[in-house]
Amino acid sequence: MTATTRILEWFGRLYIWLLLAFLYLPIIIMALMSFNVSPFYQLPFEWTTEWYASLWQNDQLIAATWNSVEIAVIATVICTVLGSAASLALYRYEFRGKKFLQALLFPPIAIPWLITGTAMLIFFFGVGIGRGLHAILLGHVALALPYVIVVVSARLQTFAPELEEAARSLGANQWQVTRRVTLPWIMPGVIAGGLFAFAVSFDQFVVSYFLATPGQTTLPVEIYAAIRKGFTPEINAVSTIIIVVSMALMLLTARFFKFGGEK
Amino acid sequence: MAAATASRSGLRSALPLLAPAYLWLTVAIFLPLSAMVFFSFMTELPLSEKPWAFTLGNYAAFFSQSLYLTLLLASLRLGLEVTLWCVIIGYPAAYVLAKVLKGRSREAIFLLVILPFWSNGLVRIFSWAMVLREGGILDTALNAVLPFKINIDLMYSYPAVIIGLVHSYVPYMVLTCYLTLQAIDDSLIEAGRSLGASRLQVLKRVIIPLSMPGLVAGAALIFVPVVGSFMEPRILGGRTGTFYGTVIEDQFVAVFNWPLGAALSFILLAVVLVILAVASPVLRRAA
Amino acid sequence: MAGVQVSNVSRSFGAHKALDDVSIDFADGGFYALLGPSGSGKTTLLRQIAGFDFPDSGRITIGGESVERVPVEKRRIGMVFQNYALFPNMSVADNVAFGLSVRGEAKATIATEVQRALDLVQLGKLGGRRPHQLSGGQRQRVALARAIVTKPRVLLLDEPLGALDKALRVDMQIELKRIQREIGITTIFVTHDQEEALTMSDRIGILRDGRLVQEGPPEEIYDRPKSEFAATFLGDANIFRGDSTGNGIRLPDGTAIAAGAGATLAAGAKASCAVRPERIRIATEAGTPDAANSNTLKGQISKRIFAGNNSTYFVERAGQTLKVIVQNTGMERLAEGQDVVLHWSPESTVLIAPG
Repeated sequence: MTATTRILEWFGRLYIWLLLAFLYLPIIIMALMSFNVSPFYQLPFEWTTEWYASLWQNDQLIAATWNSVEIAVIATVICTVLGSAASLALYRYEFRGKKFLQALLFPPIAIPWLITGTAMLIFFFGVGIGRGLHAILLGHVALALPYVIVVVSARLQTFAPELEEAARSLGANQWQVTRRVTLPWIMPGVIAGGLFAFAVSFDQFVVSYFLATPGQTTLPVEIYAAIRKGFTPEINAVSTIIIVVSMALMLLTARFFKFGGEK
Repeated sequence: MAAATASRSGLRSALPLLAPAYLWLTVAIFLPLSAMVFFSFMTELPLSEKPWAFTLGNYAAFFSQSLYLTLLLASLRLGLEVTLWCVIIGYPAAYVLAKVLKGRSREAIFLLVILPFWSNGLVRIFSWAMVLREGGILDTALNAVLPFKINIDLMYSYPAVIIGLVHSYVPYMVLTCYLTLQAIDDSLIEAGRSLGASRLQVLKRVIIPLSMPGLVAGAALIFVPVVGSFMEPRILGGRTGTFYGTVIEDQFVAVFNWPLGAALSFILLAVVLVILAVASPVLRRAA
Repeated sequence: MAGVQVSNVSRSFGAHKALDDVSIDFADGGFYALLGPSGSGKTTLLRQIAGFDFPDSGRITIGGESVERVPVEKRRIGMVFQNYALFPNMSVADNVAFGLSVRGEAKATIATEVQRALDLVQLGKLGGRRPHQLSGGQRQRVALARAIVTKPRVLLLDEPLGALDKALRVDMQIELKRIQREIGITTIFVTHDQEEALTMSDRIGILRDGRLVQEGPPEEIYDRPKSEFAATFLGDANIFRGDSTGNGIRLPDGTAIAAGAGATLAAGAKASCAVRPERIRIATEAGTPDAANSNTLKGQISKRIFAGNNSTYFVERAGQTLKVIVQNTGMERLAEGQDVVLHWSPESTVLIAPG
């Protein structure tokens, strides 16, 4: 290894750490400030858990949090079931229009949520579905479904079709093949897809924002409203909780599914 | 193998498994998008008490009032700038991850870079507000270190919006570039060097061309949502944060002119689709 | 156990005729090899018998029962796949137990049967392992145990030894044969390896372009091929083409070659003769050809390849390169460029109808 190479490598590492600092410092600062006595983020830092305590008294935030969790859980279950079924069908069968169906998965991912969200608002309002938690759930499932199908399909690509054939040759019917051979194999993909779906729903702001009503709202929408009214340390505290939860969730996902593809 | 699937082929077997997912997508995505196009040609929402009629007025408004066009251009410029910054910051990072770091530390750092992307975007933007405002962390920290007094108040400014958006989207660029860079065989780089090319020449003539699909994918994935962003400019831009996205938001939550909002949304959708169409040949090559 | 009859089975994929009017009778308890180059239809035929795919026309019976429209899971067959297709999420024992378990057998029965099957393939102690912890040969045995534990009517093997290295393959050939004899199951075996087909099977069927070219015991196919393709695909052969003389052919230059086996053809028709390289004697001078080796040709050695136990000589003669294999007896070694005389018996010469 030449001296130049070593210096370049050293710069490379330094650069990555600077990037990580850029990515994490604001979050860390926010987390620290949620434990600071001064509601105006004044230094010096003095430790308190007062904001977390008052968060506990804030019924509106707590209700919104429960709504968020409930919608995310239900959306995850629906997405995982519908998404896995669709992935299996796309994997197993050949039929005309299959390419088209696969291509249809990308608009929901690629189109900005602002457009999707306002379109949902107009349509749901127009056909009488209206706004509220049920509309938010309807929207969240649609947003997360393509992710689940893509993730489970990616896992299915690594599945050897002979395994299904072997199971059938041993007398297993379609359901037994699916339950005992195919599903166990794609399970990491299904779990990863489910966690993605949870993250998409739990963190979703834009679409929820357009579909929420004053009584029926989710946590991010509530936070946005609070931020626009003015900073409060309580928002800080709840934001810290959210970010810790969602990062933990993604770490869990990473355990089941490698982002960089199978190596 | 043709023989393998032939006996189990057919839409009829696939349909029961496919129908629920695609019905859901139809009701919640495709019909709404179609409805949006439809409503954008109306004077009022049908179903409301007021009389309604077909009109091109909403589109005429876009083209006759320079405000909307100016804002769309401002949003496109914002998208370009953010994308450019993400390339400048993200590509080298992806390169270091793919070609310099090895083994477990690479995996761990890669995960760390990607992680914030899947955490709550709103909350991350909010955290910048705390850092950037006057008397905020950046201000306090710099004044504590520097011997002279300076005033850092980036909050409610264009740079603040840029910083927040770059922070939100740079992991995308790292991800897509990392995936293509990692697929480049090291021996290609060595071959280039052995043929007498300098590091810079290898970078320019081998590595960048080969990683182009990742760059384009990353750029498309960043540019499109940034053009449609409204929450970030609102929180970090304040009064200077009026963009095309915020105007659409206003039509729906403040002004309640939904048909105009639909027309503006549809114009944005058209712009987005054109951009995706332009990028898609490169993307398809990548896939 | 049961025999399998394939009668006039055809199957097309679009314009491609994968199987074209194939009929074979697989006798009960026999070991049958389907041999052919890739794309010959041998795997398609196996998949028809297994029930993964149905024929366009024709009949397939297993044990006398018509099955051509019965799906694979109802055919009671056992199959070993090219890459073994062991379920990665199950232990070895669970893999073997799968077929019994989907049938709803009692746990105790399953355990006994699985152990018996694993013992049969000499893996009795490895039931708790996962497939990825096994060597290639061990996986092969598990796949075999899994296929036979359900007591299928037929055992189908799709290039089962293809993924193994040479030495292991020979071991497994012997092992497979032993197990097959022990349980006496009708076995159909797809391979592109002619040596494997010759050493293992009771009968061989050679396929080409979806058609059955020839079928019979290995000795018969080797000694009396009915077509140039059969002669050159199974083993090596020198082919002479000329006009039939009724009991041999006349080459274009007038040399007569007498044939003692093969088709009977009217004199004057186009015909060919096939001679195995190891049947030809090679000598430096003419001498007096005895009656047993009455076919004689002169030529010149263009190349010699020494392979230890034998040598292959390439002999140029009238624009044709002939192949002669001589056992290494340590006696004489001929040099390249040397003029030689080849002779062999009419009994080693097979007359083949043009095709």
